[in-house]
Amino acid sequence: MPEKMEITNNIRTLRFFAHEMTQQELAEKAGVSRQTIIAVEAGKYAPSLELAFRIADAFGVPITEVFGYTKKGD
Amino acid sequence: MSYQEKRTLLSIIISILMLVSYSIYAFGKAGMEHINDLQFWARTILIFIGIGIVALIILQIVFHILMAISKAIRQKLKDDVVDEEEIGRSMRVETAEDEMDKMIEMKSNRFGYTIMGLGFMAGLIAIAFGASAVAMLNILFFSTWVGSFIEAVMQIRYYRRGV
Repeated sequence: MPEKMEITNNIRTLRFFAHEMTQQELAEKAGVSRQTIIAVEAGKYAPSLELAFRIADAFGVPITEVFGYTKKGD
Repeated sequence: MSYQEKRTLLSIIISILMLVSYSIYAFGKAGMEHINDLQFWARTILIFIGIGIVALIILQIVFHILMAISKAIRQKLKDDVVDEEEIGRSMRVETAEDEMDKMIEMKSNRFGYTIMGLGFMAGLIAIAFGASAVAMLNILFFSTWVGSFIEAVMQIRYYRRGV
């Protein structure tokens, strides 16, 4: 049985350091609704690979700097 | 509450109102006078479905307009200027249907279809035990309504808790 893993993200931090980018601005750049960005940021929705790349692209950083894959509870 | 949650809540409210109106009409005097008239019941159900769809479309348009107006008022109070382009952009970002909306729709649809399927079975069982075609029609109608109600409730749950 595989270990329970979860997808984490640094979106809030990255937004702060990107001239305090708003969720709306990120949503526009990523081509999704603000609600989706809120859900991704809060860990309530795991984005598709394409969306994950678009979010990383919006920050101009590699995807591994935006998203992580860790054991649940770590 | 997000735009999608508010829109789903609006459709729940409309469907409750439609069901109550249908129940009052169909099970009131008019229904009792045509208790075994299959055509009457079929026509009544079709009319109420049509009214429900039209009401939902109109109210969603009104809701959309009110949302744009409230954004304009908020912007005017904050920046003392109304930038239509900014409001349009903000509306598009709020109302865009994206992958998360499709995922939530897919997951909640399952509940709706399951309940409708159960309703169909219940209708068949009712007929098998001697119930009338009118009874089956109403069972199907109510199970479709319950299915879409549960589907909408699940959509709100997914939007709130995540998917």
